Amino acid sequence: MTTTPESTSPLTPQNGVSVSGDSGVASSALLSLRGITKSFGAVEALKHVDLDIPAGQVTALIGDNGAGKSTLIKAIAGIYAPTSGEIYWEGRKVSMHTPRDAEDLGIATVYQDLALCDNLDIVQNMYLGHEESRRLTLDEIKMELNTKRVLSELSVSTVRSVRQLVGSLSGGQRQAIAVARAVMHESKLVIMDEPTAALGVSQTAQVLDLIKRLASRGIAVLVISHNLVDVFEVADRIAVMYLGTLVSSGPVANYDTASAVEIITTGGFQSDVAATVK
Amino acid sequence: MSRAVSEVVSPSSNEGEPASWARRLVGNQQFMLFVVFVAIFAFFTFNDSVFASVSEIGNNITDFSTLVLLAVGETFVIATGGIDLSVGGTSGFAGVVGAIAMEHLAPHGEWVVLGVGTLVCLGVGIGIGLINAVLMHYARLVPFVATLVTMGAAEGMSLVLTGGAPVGSNFGAITLTEPKISVFSYPDIIIILITVVAGLYLHYSKFGRYTFAIGSNSFAVRAVGVNVRRHLTWVYVLSGALAGLTGMFIYMRLGSGAPSAGVGTELVAIAAVVIGGARLTGGSAQLSGTVLGAMILTIVSSGLIIMNVSPNFNQVAVAILIALAATFQALRKGSRADV
Repeated sequence: MTTTPESTSPLTPQNGVSVSGDSGVASSALLSLRGITKSFGAVEALKHVDLDIPAGQVTALIGDNGAGKSTLIKAIAGIYAPTSGEIYWEGRKVSMHTPRDAEDLGIATVYQDLALCDNLDIVQNMYLGHEESRRLTLDEIKMELNTKRVLSELSVSTVRSVRQLVGSLSGGQRQAIAVARAVMHESKLVIMDEPTAALGVSQTAQVLDLIKRLASRGIAVLVISHNLVDVFEVADRIAVMYLGTLVSSGPVANYDTASAVEIITTGGFQSDVAATVK
Repeated sequence: MSRAVSEVVSPSSNEGEPASWARRLVGNQQFMLFVVFVAIFAFFTFNDSVFASVSEIGNNITDFSTLVLLAVGETFVIATGGIDLSVGGTSGFAGVVGAIAMEHLAPHGEWVVLGVGTLVCLGVGIGIGLINAVLMHYARLVPFVATLVTMGAAEGMSLVLTGGAPVGSNFGAITLTEPKISVFSYPDIIIILITVVAGLYLHYSKFGRYTFAIGSNSFAVRAVGVNVRRHLTWVYVLSGALAGLTGMFIYMRLGSGAPSAGVGTELVAIAAVVIGGARLTGGSAQLSGTVLGAMILTIVSSGLIIMNVSPNFNQVAVAILIALAATFQALRKGSRADV
């Protein structure tokens, strides 16, 4: 909120520098949001959100239902164009109007309702929208081999056949496929909406493992989660939303469960925890 | 990492389990359809050997040709999770408009007349496909309603243009639908080629892949950056274009543009797709199944005529076939879901 859209001159690399009340981000933020506002008619779902997402780290976006988390990731994923505000990608100002624009930049989104096609097999899902063609036909062999390679790189070894229909997979496997999809397309930022919401204990552990592996590959991960246990296990940074506003963000060490819960429920106004700036 | 490796394989799938041969064949919808086709064919032939005569087979192929392109277009549409009720009306309207156009062209050579007539029919079909797309995308109608509207409009316009009687008699055209190569006429061969190409296109191209993907989860397709609206527009245009070509074929077969030619055929086309194993909820269809479905429906209706069963029973027979096919599919799916 300290930065108005006018005060950052576009197309200079310094724009990636965190200038908001955000403390720990170095100048290396992969994605920076400045003053992102999104209105649906009279309703302001997002109010001047400033957020920096660094590469190679897991940023957890937390907040109560209706806090604007999903709207925010949809703005980053190119589903909704923000009403106002600016998005900087690797220091450059960008505008995204379609999901394809975001994908082209290297932003992949794994949706809560899992944007996979149950009636297609794993390979077909992994390559959906990016099919490899050889002359007139699809290059199924190449796609199949690449799928196997990426799955094994990510140690996703629980699927029997990459020609299995995705509808026959378990929730954890489906998450793994959705994530592997992002990795295969060499995404630099993977956004995950409630990746563990519908999963059992061991599958949750697997997906959290996978998230850490993504970050260790230098990929920025933005995770939305309601589950603070998961958040504290996996996140390097935390950003808290409250009623459309980003009320607090910083390294995970600045928070504990109690303070996180307080900010989530009250917006942090009653206490000092919002001031995580050192 | 080791956790991922050691996790047990998914219990929810039975893919890759050793299934016996026979079971795999029985589980294969196309194979079962073929068996059913052969059985029905044998039954009718056993009843009356005329059924297997060259001329009767030729007739069946002509009937098949008037149906299959509608069913092919419908397969694409149903694979996206939509439905196109307008294909029958479109084929009739295209035939009428084509017939009127060809009447005006009569002084020109026969090939010019037929060539332009084909293009006119195609154009009418594409136009109605576009109207369907506009109604869906801009007027926000669901496919059922949008195509119901164009079905009614097309059938009504056919009557308006013709006053209810056939127009543009052209007896020369009829000869073109007579068998030339074995039991096939030239248009039959073109129609079969179009069917084969459409099948390859549906199952082996990007376009086909997106068609199924949209029927499976259109949000996912949109999320990966595919223009779903544009894709659906193409699908309905394809369906309309194939209906337009069918209109031209019906014109050639009848030697005139008959306003009521296509009435009700959309339901037979949809029946062929359903018998072929497609799911009306989208995401799953087989063009080979559709073709077999169209073959079965064709021989059932002609076989009943040869058996002297009143043609009025035709629709009943179609209904029974649909019920059987849908039940078979539901049972098969049910047994799979239990695993």
